[in-house]
Amino acid sequence: MIKQIGFFIEIVKGSIITARHFWVNLFFHILKLFHIKTKRKGAATIQYPDVRQPIAYRHRSMHRLMKHKDGTPRCVVCMLCVTVCPSECIYVEAAEDPDPEIQKYPSQFIIDLTRCCFCGFCVEACPEDAIRMDTDEIELARYDKEELVFDLDKLLG
Amino acid sequence: MIEPIDILISFIKVIMAMMWFLILALYLTWLERKESAVMQDRVGANRANIFGFRIIGIFQPFADAIKMFFKEDFTPKFSHKFLHNLAPFLSFYFVLVTIATIPFAGDIKIGEKVIKLQVLDLNIGILFVLAMLSLSVYGVLLSGWASNSRWTLLGGLRGAAQLVSYEVALGLSLVGLVMVYPSLKFSAIVESQGALLFGFLPKWGIVLQPLGFIVFFLAAMAESERVPFDLPEAESEIVGYFTEYSGLKWGLYMFTDFMKVLIIACLLTTLFFGGYQVPWLAADGFHFPWGGEWLMSNGLVVALQVLIFNLKVFFFCWLQILIRWTYPRFRYDQLMDFGWKLLIPLCLINIAITGIVMSFIK
Amino acid sequence: MVKIFIDEKPFEVEEGITVFTAAEQAGIEIPHLCYHPAFAPEGTCRMCLVEIEGVPKLELSCATVVRDGMKVSTNNERVVEARKGVLEFLLADHPMDCPICDQAGDCKLQDYYEKYGMFESRYSENKEKREKKRKIGQTLIHDQERCVLCRRCVRFTREITKTHELGVFERGVHAEISILEDGPVNNKYSGNLAEICPVGAITDLDFRFQTRSWFLKSGDSICPLCSRGCSITIDSHKGFSHFKVPKRVYRIQSRRNENINGFWICDIGRYGYGYINENRLEQILLKNEQNEAMDWEKALKILSEKMKKVHPMDRSSGAVLILNPWLTNEELFLIKKFLIENQEFENVYLIDIPDGEGDDFLITTERSPNKRGLQELGLKAKSLSSDKLPEKIKLVLAFTPPNIDSAGSASVKAVFDKAETKILFASNKNDLSDVSDMVFPTAVIAEKSGSLINIDGVLQNFSPALEALGDSRPEWQILVEMAKEIDINHKYYDQFSSPETILQEIRKEISDFGKKSD
Repeated sequence: MIKQIGFFIEIVKGSIITARHFWVNLFFHILKLFHIKTKRKGAATIQYPDVRQPIAYRHRSMHRLMKHKDGTPRCVVCMLCVTVCPSECIYVEAAEDPDPEIQKYPSQFIIDLTRCCFCGFCVEACPEDAIRMDTDEIELARYDKEELVFDLDKLLG
Repeated sequence: MIEPIDILISFIKVIMAMMWFLILALYLTWLERKESAVMQDRVGANRANIFGFRIIGIFQPFADAIKMFFKEDFTPKFSHKFLHNLAPFLSFYFVLVTIATIPFAGDIKIGEKVIKLQVLDLNIGILFVLAMLSLSVYGVLLSGWASNSRWTLLGGLRGAAQLVSYEVALGLSLVGLVMVYPSLKFSAIVESQGALLFGFLPKWGIVLQPLGFIVFFLAAMAESERVPFDLPEAESEIVGYFTEYSGLKWGLYMFTDFMKVLIIACLLTTLFFGGYQVPWLAADGFHFPWGGEWLMSNGLVVALQVLIFNLKVFFFCWLQILIRWTYPRFRYDQLMDFGWKLLIPLCLINIAITGIVMSFIK
Repeated sequence: MVKIFIDEKPFEVEEGITVFTAAEQAGIEIPHLCYHPAFAPEGTCRMCLVEIEGVPKLELSCATVVRDGMKVSTNNERVVEARKGVLEFLLADHPMDCPICDQAGDCKLQDYYEKYGMFESRYSENKEKREKKRKIGQTLIHDQERCVLCRRCVRFTREITKTHELGVFERGVHAEISILEDGPVNNKYSGNLAEICPVGAITDLDFRFQTRSWFLKSGDSICPLCSRGCSITIDSHKGFSHFKVPKRVYRIQSRRNENINGFWICDIGRYGYGYINENRLEQILLKNEQNEAMDWEKALKILSEKMKKVHPMDRSSGAVLILNPWLTNEELFLIKKFLIENQEFENVYLIDIPDGEGDDFLITTERSPNKRGLQELGLKAKSLSSDKLPEKIKLVLAFTPPNIDSAGSASVKAVFDKAETKILFASNKNDLSDVSDMVFPTAVIAEKSGSLINIDGVLQNFSPALEALGDSRPEWQILVEMAKEIDINHKYYDQFSSPETILQEIRKEISDFGKKSD
């Protein structure tokens, strides 16, 4: 019984805390409504499409493929990204490069973003630094799933 | 001897009471979202707009309603079609009719006519409300059974058990009140609460029946099937008795929830907080206990009463939403323990104490 | 027998074998690049150094013959250190282009580095630049940079094919494997060079840049392209979960089998896997129309009705059965039991597969895998091209091989033209699949299990190396189900749940069947 009374006190305390939050926040909301600037804000919300937080330096956003100076892809089709990809969303096909030093270049490089989980393993695995996830492009919603299957041209940008 | 003008007045009263009830319930959905957001340091629904005017998201209920209209109304193949479709309307209807008995203000005099601001002043007002709230259990039970899905069935069973259990406490908690204001009539109860105790204290239910108030409040919260008593729904466990509903019918269930919140606020106000009564305000104006007087016209008094009634109702809506967003859900055995082992004994104690005190005073 | 100690454990080994072989028999792995069991040891790579008690210097295990009481350590500190040193020298001039090397994953140098090396490179100078891409044969590319000069390939051309195309030219750091001028590797076994190369120096053009070896799943099978029946492994790719890959089978490699082919296979078998990938029949076709809903149960019902329609009196003259030598023993046995003996097909023909050029090593002139099985089962089939056809044909059941040529299909078509009802069992699309009433897709040898008898009378069992494509099924399964559907002696056919059970039944009837079993 004593235990239950203890609970009751905590229950009342809980609603006092939420009520305090409500009234204090409401006070600052009302101040804002009258364009009174205060240091403290009523809400911690960032109004996303209007206000944007800067993207962190190491944030993993949409992929891009790096290029040599002459514009050819840096990728050598070692398929390590294909191997390491946990959601198997990368598909690469190799073609023979006329330059025997390069040997392989990608004739197809497809990333299916509908499957991608943005783990960044492909970036880690790449021995040539040919794939990066630093485009800061995070708004990837599309009306058509097909638009989310990115091919070589799109990835090279 | 019913005059046509009486029929017209009744009709207008019905329409106005319904409008008040439905529009407030609609805005309660918005209020709940906003209040919970402000409590949790968020902003809440604020993006619905008409021609770019957001006005702190005040159009959100309409956006929700439009969305629900255009959603697919899906009836599962395996369900009992007729009962499945009927259930939400049953729930909705039985809650809707309860508003008829709530008095909004004292009598208004227009010329010779005296009009009560109450749709239906039943002799057994309290019993009527309790009966209607009990009948709304059928909506829960039917939807649970007719959907023919195990989640809805579990939800329906839980709902039925919970509502039936708490109805006992709900009814018993009012017995003391009925003893104090010897009437089952809402208008009479509110009228009695206008009197003064010891010459200065308003004779409100909360003063005379504090224990009854607590028990009634808790039992009524449970009756509204909202957190922390939302076991029939329990989104995180079984989704609940309306799992198989979509679109407008699902919306109707949601709406019924908010109507219940509103009707509970109305009942709390009417029974325990003096209804439309303002302390020391009589039909002709204020008579302060320290001897002052402030006389007012009948119209002004009624307007003040309606305002104060609404304020009280809003307060209880706010309180219920606060509680809903503060506490986690009961476990099922805790819920049953709470109802049967705590609330009902408290009711009985309340009745006994009330009886003893009353017999001494006589 | 002599007694030796390897890593302080005693072993009894045959006299005259090398330490390396003794360790191999004892299950102890000694790293090696140049050593290959098919060739005489040469000792160029120095990876297999071991310490022998009483011998001051480390010895080559591949070239040292065991003596009684010899005490060998394969893994002590000195050996490991020496191994590391050898590896470091080998890798000092290795281009480390593993990401673009087709050998990556199968490469011995990679494996040994992971297992015994794991050192940081101390080689700060520029690496020697050499020719990366020299075409040394029809299907072979040689990369001078990756070569470790193990001379396996040179020895192969000298000892196995005796064609002497390859040699080591220049000396010291400039030494390189190459062909003589205008003398590219041109023999029927050249594909083995890419296989025996321990690193990625010789790679196969056919497999070049197709995929990476770790995506491939290997399965053992038997090469059906001639009557030698060489043991092979088939490397196939199932595709990624969301992407299809262009091929199913990516390469075929030889599998060691002392009785048949030793370590080698010919280029015909190595590169002749196209029929597994291309032009395959995946669905049951009915009246030349692809019917999605057609499943085996329904199709077999239709087939059995068609077979029942042919009056038993007409069967002897009006029903024709066309067989091919690609069928396994089990399938031929079922055909004999069920179609010939029970259903009384009397006109049995065999599709002629024309002979090719053979040699005295592996390739036989007979380009069909199981002619011997046909003979041993006592199936008497007439030749389609030379023997006469019956006048009126009501029903024809034809089993065609994947590599049927135009002359072969023309001879079957001649039968089809005369016939009323034409049923085809084939794994690949051919001229006949368009004119048949029903086409049943069948699995190829790589996808089914069973047994074949090769030209020397050796019976070889095999199991599927990859899954059957689409709806296709092996013929033995189709035949068992057909027999059940027609409902003759249901019990008898119920026992045939696998080719092994059928083979047991064959052995019950023909006790010395395939007596030279592997």
